Amino acid sequence: MAADSDRICIGSIAGAFGVGGEVRLKSFCAEPTAIADYGPVFTEDGSRSFKITLSRPVAGGLGARLSGVKTKEEADALRGAGLYVDRTRLPKLPADEFYHADLIGLEVRDTGGALLGLLHAIHNHGAGDILEVTGNGRKVALMIPFTRAAVPTVDLAARRIIADLPEGLD
Amino acid sequence: MARSIWKGPFVDGYLLKKAETSRASGKNEVIKIWSRRSTILPQFVGLTFGVYNGKKHIPVAVTEEMIGQKFGEYSPTRTYYGHAADKKAKRK
Repeated sequence: MAADSDRICIGSIAGAFGVGGEVRLKSFCAEPTAIADYGPVFTEDGSRSFKITLSRPVAGGLGARLSGVKTKEEADALRGAGLYVDRTRLPKLPADEFYHADLIGLEVRDTGGALLGLLHAIHNHGAGDILEVTGNGRKVALMIPFTRAAVPTVDLAARRIIADLPEGLD
Repeated sequence: MARSIWKGPFVDGYLLKKAETSRASGKNEVIKIWSRRSTILPQFVGLTFGVYNGKKHIPVAVTEEMIGQKFGEYSPTRTYYGHAADKKAKRK
């Protein structure tokens, strides 16, 4: 999850790797090595920033050097730290493509304006993206296929999604 | 062991009826099914099925590439919530 709306968590530091000051990174990116592509990364409170230089894949993640981290002790001290980038560093997407980070948390309403819930997660099990909507007293999440027919409007500025639920979805 | 070819693909009979009814009605609807073991047939292409995963019905819009697979493959019974990071969703 993002530390605030302008920063997105793209990975974390799993610990030191070796004795030369390298770290073991866990990448949350769709393409793991993309963690180094978004410029400097920040800790959750924004107090420290690092430039990532990936070295090689290692067990359980990626081996990397962080600028300013020279020793194993410094690397160990960072264990568990989340790595964040500014939302503005992510490239612009074509129409009808959205970052999960932009969509999660938006309110979902039906075409009549009634609140269905909040967008909790986005899944893709091989048959297209599916929006998981929770809240508003629901015991079981509402799963909506992310198609133009079922989701005619995505209004990021108003932080609202309009869903035209097909019959059979409840 | 593979299924004998002479038997043809397995599909629960009620699915065929439901699919026919839905296609005839021409409505935009999700066909709720519980049969995860059924094979996806060519006549299902273009329809959307809600495949039960033990808790809820997961919408599966059938496309040509899915023919021959089982419905259950598209409706996992365990859910993993990862970080959003730079992951993208595409509206089709």
